[in-house]
Amino acid sequence: MNSSIWRTALRPLQNSQFRAPAALRHPTQTPSATPATPSTSASPFSTTATLQKRKKQGPTIDPRVTNIRYHLSHPLTPRPLHFSRTRYLRHWTIHRAWMLFLRKRRWAEERDLERQYQAMRAACEHLRCMDENGMEVPKSEAGGQGPDPGTLGPRGKEVGRLYRNAMIKRGVAGSVPVEYARAQVDFPSRDGWNHEWTRN
Amino acid sequence: MALRELPLRTAALTARDVRPVLNAVRPHSLRNASSAAAPAEVEPSSFEVPPPPPEAAQKFDPIARSKARQLKKNPLPPSRYQYRPPKYYRGPLHPHQPPPVSDPASRLFQPGPFSLPRLEQTYQSTIAADLLTLTYQHRPPGYRAPVVEQRLREWTGESPYFKNRPLRPPRGGSALRLLTPHRDFRNIPEIKKVVVHTMVPEAQEDSAHLHVAGMVVQAMTNVRVVAHRARSHVVQWGLKKDKYVAVTADVEREDTFHFLSKLIDVVLPKIKEWKGVAGTSGDGSGNISFGLTADQVAMFPEIEVNYDSYPPKMIPGCHITIHTSATNDQDAYLLLQSIGIPFYGKLKG
Repeated sequence: MNSSIWRTALRPLQNSQFRAPAALRHPTQTPSATPATPSTSASPFSTTATLQKRKKQGPTIDPRVTNIRYHLSHPLTPRPLHFSRTRYLRHWTIHRAWMLFLRKRRWAEERDLERQYQAMRAACEHLRCMDENGMEVPKSEAGGQGPDPGTLGPRGKEVGRLYRNAMIKRGVAGSVPVEYARAQVDFPSRDGWNHEWTRN
Repeated sequence: MALRELPLRTAALTARDVRPVLNAVRPHSLRNASSAAAPAEVEPSSFEVPPPPPEAAQKFDPIARSKARQLKKNPLPPSRYQYRPPKYYRGPLHPHQPPPVSDPASRLFQPGPFSLPRLEQTYQSTIAADLLTLTYQHRPPGYRAPVVEQRLREWTGESPYFKNRPLRPPRGGSALRLLTPHRDFRNIPEIKKVVVHTMVPEAQEDSAHLHVAGMVVQAMTNVRVVAHRARSHVVQWGLKKDKYVAVTADVEREDTFHFLSKLIDVVLPKIKEWKGVAGTSGDGSGNISFGLTADQVAMFPEIEVNYDSYPPKMIPGCHITIHTSATNDQDAYLLLQSIGIPFYGKLKG
């Protein structure tokens, strides 16, 4: 991770090389006080350094993991804000205004949905009391009185046929096509391709 | 007739002559630009007090005053209001009450929102109205819904201990199922929050797995994660009790919509041969869950741009639970389908 620019801003270090904090370092990784002397070679008369048998090392820690641990354990959350009187009043005013704005917006959205709901309700009530000729019948003769909208009234099937059809909710569950969820964005354009474009 | 009109005419003539006088009596706020302004009434102000004499100003030494105050060990109070809200809420009767959540000094204060997500706008403008249309059930005027009685059973028997005993728990479970109210323009299902959960059993041996999983989930959701311990020993899964094995992130408010937008528009279309969310998902009360594998999690844009920072074998899979305000799974399916999450198989219910 190339974040050396702001890492130094967080923890000013002497060397530019990133080293893990002591608490995060594995004990086997810490350099010992007395480094192993190179004189323990197999042939003492040779000046050539021979490869020693590698000592048993502890599990090496991925530097990426060390980095992640470092950033996880350093909370950058600031302490809570304390405002003086003027700033507090300013904040309070803005907060009240924002709450009022939200309330008005919510109210407008709810009125919009209510208008739609009442329109659907009026339309369904109209269909319920309509006979085959499109004439309105008194509400006592219409069907659908109880919890079941398919209940027939005294005039039978000839009243409210469209209403009974509209109230069938059999195919509704899980009926939204995946194309419906297309994000509402300004692109691609309606024209798609400008066929008239030429290079001068 | 003319005699009767005489006083009226006299009054009209008098009024015509009187008009300029009435103009002069008008309030000053209605004056024209050409007419004279009223003399301003100045409130008594503290500036009218004469300034202190110059000798007093010359002799005034704030540093010496401050030092004298320090010697007397009676310094001025600090300029800032030193108040710390209580760390724990001790109940409504405790004299030390925390400030409201909207106060920046509160420990629960969350600034924002900082954005208006596209998904939220789409829900408000289109999806809510369409869901209302789709699930509308007509009730003729005068219809009265049957009242739901107490759904829990009482203890019936001869035993004297049954008297005043709490009601019996519901059959077949520890909690009652939610009741679905009549669909109204006020209770259209909406998205409440998203919970992202990752369980990493390897973290029992090496905590690096847990740390990497936490960082991955934080990067995905923009929410600080919470680590969880194993509740009990499970020998088959190699779980040891009280070891940290999982992290969760509760995504709320605007983060929900940002996370879902990324998931729906970026990650899910990139998954090869993905069938969708199982139609049997859901807990019966409107919360739908599904899972992503490790390589699918790596497709999140935050992980993808920074892929080299994570040890690739330690990137975890995750479970995503979408909490909706729907009270049954069918309404939740409709809502999630309308925001673009596909389902496969026969939908439950």
